[in-house]
Amino acid sequence: MSADTHNNEDKLVALASIAAELHSVMNVAWGVSLAAKNAKVISAQAGDKGLGFQPITDFIDEISQLAIKGVNDINESAMRLSKIAVDEQRSYDAYKRFDSVRKKHQGAAYIASMSSAMGRSENHMIDAFKEFKTSLNNLFALLEEMDEQMLSARAVASVSRIVTSDAAEFRSKLEVVANDLDNAAVFIKDKISDSYQHLDRVRSLTREQAL
Amino acid sequence: MKVTKIFDANHQWFMFGRDPEKPESIIDTNQYMVVSDERALLMDPGGIEVFAPMLGAILHHAKVDQITDLFASHQDPDIISSLGLWDQALPHAVLHAPWLWEGFLRHFGMNNIQYDGIPDEGSSINLGGVELEFIPAHYLHASGNYHVYDPKAKILMSGDVGAALEATEAPVFVEDFDEHIPKMKMFHQRWMPSNRAKNDWISRVRKLDIEYMAPQHGRIFKGDDVQCFLDWFEQLEVGTAIS
Repeated sequence: MSADTHNNEDKLVALASIAAELHSVMNVAWGVSLAAKNAKVISAQAGDKGLGFQPITDFIDEISQLAIKGVNDINESAMRLSKIAVDEQRSYDAYKRFDSVRKKHQGAAYIASMSSAMGRSENHMIDAFKEFKTSLNNLFALLEEMDEQMLSARAVASVSRIVTSDAAEFRSKLEVVANDLDNAAVFIKDKISDSYQHLDRVRSLTREQAL
Repeated sequence: MKVTKIFDANHQWFMFGRDPEKPESIIDTNQYMVVSDERALLMDPGGIEVFAPMLGAILHHAKVDQITDLFASHQDPDIISSLGLWDQALPHAVLHAPWLWEGFLRHFGMNNIQYDGIPDEGSSINLGGVELEFIPAHYLHASGNYHVYDPKAKILMSGDVGAALEATEAPVFVEDFDEHIPKMKMFHQRWMPSNRAKNDWISRVRKLDIEYMAPQHGRIFKGDDVQCFLDWFEQLEVGTAIS
């Protein structure tokens, strides 16, 4: 690991950007959850005409709950990565200063007594770096999972539009729910795509650091 | 960083400061260390910027593992913002500092060092057979503030009391008290907020037998200059920012 290529400040900014991107996703996911509950009421009012739509409302609700949980998990994971990056930076700062003392004060009577502190910082830095890489992969997996969920959401929205064609006077109301779900899924996918870009930046900075 | 041994008997007192490599924009600070037997206490160890020169200077006189104790007179960054770095160098050390500032000081990063909160009335520690007293100096200038008194060496480490703002090449000891007054007048008038607190501290400190009064900025007072300082400080109106 090269001490000169630490880019933790850039990494922290990129991780904070992911949290910012996903903040708006949470509001949208809550909106979909509410729409799903409304759709349940509408399809109940529609009786036989809404029969085809009723199981879909459960699915929409499930998707919105998964999106809410996904955002929480991703935020938690991004926070964890930030904390590890800060810890690593602290150990690096200490190590850098210990190293400058070692170089400047070679003749000091007790210079050797510093070696255990240096070793501790170095080990801590290496451990933090390993933990960061593991947590980074975990965050990628969470984003992928959410991306797939949004693909499913778009498929559900398409099916919903077909099913609502049998819902007679309730059709327009149920179509609104299907459209809302589709728009929400597109919005969330966009945000996930932006988050991927931030995370790619973190990954490339981490690779540089490893060289 | 310049090192001055100010007491040398069965135990030693060192002053660290006047660092020529210090960035010009940061205030010059004096750090102190007492070494007794296999233990050492670092007092007001300084800011992040002075950590490396400080550690380098210490290693000429003590081993890293010998530094078992740290003391922070109060919470200011020039006093103890290096805490996060000492925390990595001395994971088994104890920090003696005002109880009032614990939650604030931990913001500097303290995962390993143990915090010993000094109670309002002060306390003492035995450092390798030497008794050191933490003397209350509240509101001089921080609301929780202490000085360190060594009755054997007759040294009072007086934190910001007695401080003077001057160049890094200034002498370590006060040579002409009257000439020194202009360098410390504004500092005390502005940084010290309370005449009542000032007089309370003076009456407490007058009872101590002091040969050296060692502030965190500026020069050390010795002998008669200690009494000169107390007399001068007693008549000084402080808290002058309130018109």
